Amino acid sequence: MSCITEAKKNPMEAEEKVMKSTLYAAGLAAAAFAASAAHSAEIEFWYGNTGAVEEAIQAQCAAFNAAQSEHVVSCVGQGGYEPAMQKAIAAYRSSQHPVLIQFFDAGTLDLMLSGAVRSVQDLMSDVDWDDYVVGARSFYETSTGELFSQPYNGSTLIFYANMDMLGDVGVSEIPQTYEDVVTVARKLKDNGHECPVLQRVHPWFSLEQFSARHGEAIASNNNGYGGLDAEFTFNTGLVATHLQNIQSWRDEGLFRLPTDVAGGKNAFVTGECAMVENSTAHYAAAFPAHGDAIAIGLPPIYDGYQRHNTLIGGGSIWAMQGHDDADYDAARAFLNFVRQNDQQIEFAGRTGYMPVTNSALAALLASDKSDQLEYATAAVGVGSLNQPGDENSRGIRLGFYVQFRDVYTEEVTKALNGEQDMQVALDNAAKRGDELLRRFEKTYQGVSLP
Amino acid sequence: MRQGFYSGGWTYTLLVAPILILIVIFFYIPVGLAFFWSFFLERPFGGGSDFVGFQNYARVLSDPEFWSAMRRTLVFMVLAPGLAIGISLILALAADRGLRLSSAARNIIIWPKAVAGASIGVVFVFIFDPFLGVFAPLNEAFPGVWNPRTDGNDAFATILVAQIWNGIPFNFIILLSGLQAIPDTLTKAAAMDGAGPWRRIRDIQLPLLTPQLFLTFVLEFVGTIVEAFGLIDTMTQGGPGGATTLLIYKIYVDGFKAYDLSGAATQTALLILFVGIMVLLQFRLEKHVKYER
Repeated sequence: MSCITEAKKNPMEAEEKVMKSTLYAAGLAAAAFAASAAHSAEIEFWYGNTGAVEEAIQAQCAAFNAAQSEHVVSCVGQGGYEPAMQKAIAAYRSSQHPVLIQFFDAGTLDLMLSGAVRSVQDLMSDVDWDDYVVGARSFYETSTGELFSQPYNGSTLIFYANMDMLGDVGVSEIPQTYEDVVTVARKLKDNGHECPVLQRVHPWFSLEQFSARHGEAIASNNNGYGGLDAEFTFNTGLVATHLQNIQSWRDEGLFRLPTDVAGGKNAFVTGECAMVENSTAHYAAAFPAHGDAIAIGLPPIYDGYQRHNTLIGGGSIWAMQGHDDADYDAARAFLNFVRQNDQQIEFAGRTGYMPVTNSALAALLASDKSDQLEYATAAVGVGSLNQPGDENSRGIRLGFYVQFRDVYTEEVTKALNGEQDMQVALDNAAKRGDELLRRFEKTYQGVSLP
Repeated sequence: MRQGFYSGGWTYTLLVAPILILIVIFFYIPVGLAFFWSFFLERPFGGGSDFVGFQNYARVLSDPEFWSAMRRTLVFMVLAPGLAIGISLILALAADRGLRLSSAARNIIIWPKAVAGASIGVVFVFIFDPFLGVFAPLNEAFPGVWNPRTDGNDAFATILVAQIWNGIPFNFIILLSGLQAIPDTLTKAAAMDGAGPWRRIRDIQLPLLTPQLFLTFVLEFVGTIVEAFGLIDTMTQGGPGGATTLLIYKIYVDGFKAYDLSGAATQTALLILFVGIMVLLQFRLEKHVKYER
């Protein structure tokens, strides 16, 4: 009886299996290729970026290999920050990992505790690491101030305004405080503007960068820098007030979320919205759309608060464990090469990222390039990263943080959609976040935070 | 007596061995590892794993997020196959009756099969866009009626529609071929006895179509649990507010984006058990399937 079903199912299954096995064979071949590459004399540098940034990284590698003959660095794109991290995990577990690898900001703690990386400061003790700008340095340093990875492609949060739109209501200066932003937004709204301010919900905008520049902690132990037993505290602080403000400003029609507008996240570029907090990288899309109408400034803060540094986004380069001295020599040479002022300036010009050392920024500002479009965000962005830092604006060092970002977004989105009270949402997010922190602490039992 | 083309058993073994080895390496070992890791707290880069017994299971099973992902998976699993098979059945019955244009329809209905799941997602995001898509005029008349970016139910509906749209061609082919295999003589005899089209569908075609219906149900049930991944990833990324986070997507996010290997392994183990139970239940249902004609 059932043999008929078997007969009917088999061709399908067989087809599927043939397809799968082809894929597996391709995968095996790729793995074998990777293995043979790892054993040759050159070292590998894995990175995640794609598009124009990838081209800039490849150009930098080519420049390094052309500039000297002792070492060869082969730069391998992994198609994204997350795939790069996943592949690094798999490669490390099978001892086929590269010497250098670029990781993104949110994976910092996992890497520090992994035992799979060694600090760049330990790798190269003779470098002036204090030259790195405040927000870039503190994000990647240990609790004792040792820089763990070398900041590479740095971005941060700045404020954008469309001065044509602001000019229509008689405003000629980009607002600096939330109080001013709201005043301008009211004028725009009274003038019939549909979207005075575009506000992103993602915690990078509404929680991390916000708390850092106000000098507020989002979790105890200085956001986890003091140890793995940190607990979330943002639900009772300024963040709670801010999100409640955002909610009422949205009800009033002053603030709009990406989901409220046709252009979504890019509604500032499409000309729907007049102001937005966004990454320095956003400039590359905003300028072609609006030209000189764009003004940029430090992201707004509330009146009466001292301004602190914003956090660095983007990626940094990590040195992985388990290679021999010759490999690390090549790694040192490459890290020194990309740190050179002219390399940083060249890279920033091609990608829209910022120089990450003070000397590179000074060299840029002193050069005739400083007023070129490609470098428009550098002064403001680095200016924001270089604001005075405190214990709470160093960075985020919390476990399972990527999962927490999803939790936060989910709860806050529900509140903004009217499904729950904002305070309930923040309390839930903090509670669920604490559960993640406790499990993370348990996973890394017996490992002390460097 | 042994039937077959080859004399010795070794030939069979050799012929099957490559695929068996691949299945073991790429299916049984990973699945085994998932079960293994579900009893440990596992660090992503290795270097330490603590045996915690059933603690991971206790945590996952007491996590409301797991249960809401499970509930969404169940709802999806009932609605998507039900509608995909129901609509395919209607189309197949119509095409089988040789209505006008049915031969053209037979051809056209199969085309969506050629579109990959992720591509469907990209296209449907545009079709259902609240400002630019097909429902945009509705939004102009009644602002805020349709917005899958903020409304969880709307988002769930878009995933559902995309999944059903994706499932119809295959089900249509299977059901139509099943209908065409039913001997003409039966329907003709019934027609001569005065049975109308509806009566013939209910008493002759549907009962004789049960093997094909069963096949599509089994494939659709299991398929919707795992195949929705591509659609969710391209259309909603599990949002808004987690409204389209089916279990399969949650596992991906936990394991590959958040490096929570133990949590993802535990949920994978639970998902495998769940699918296994569903398939067992379906094969109990098979007792009612008539293969003899």
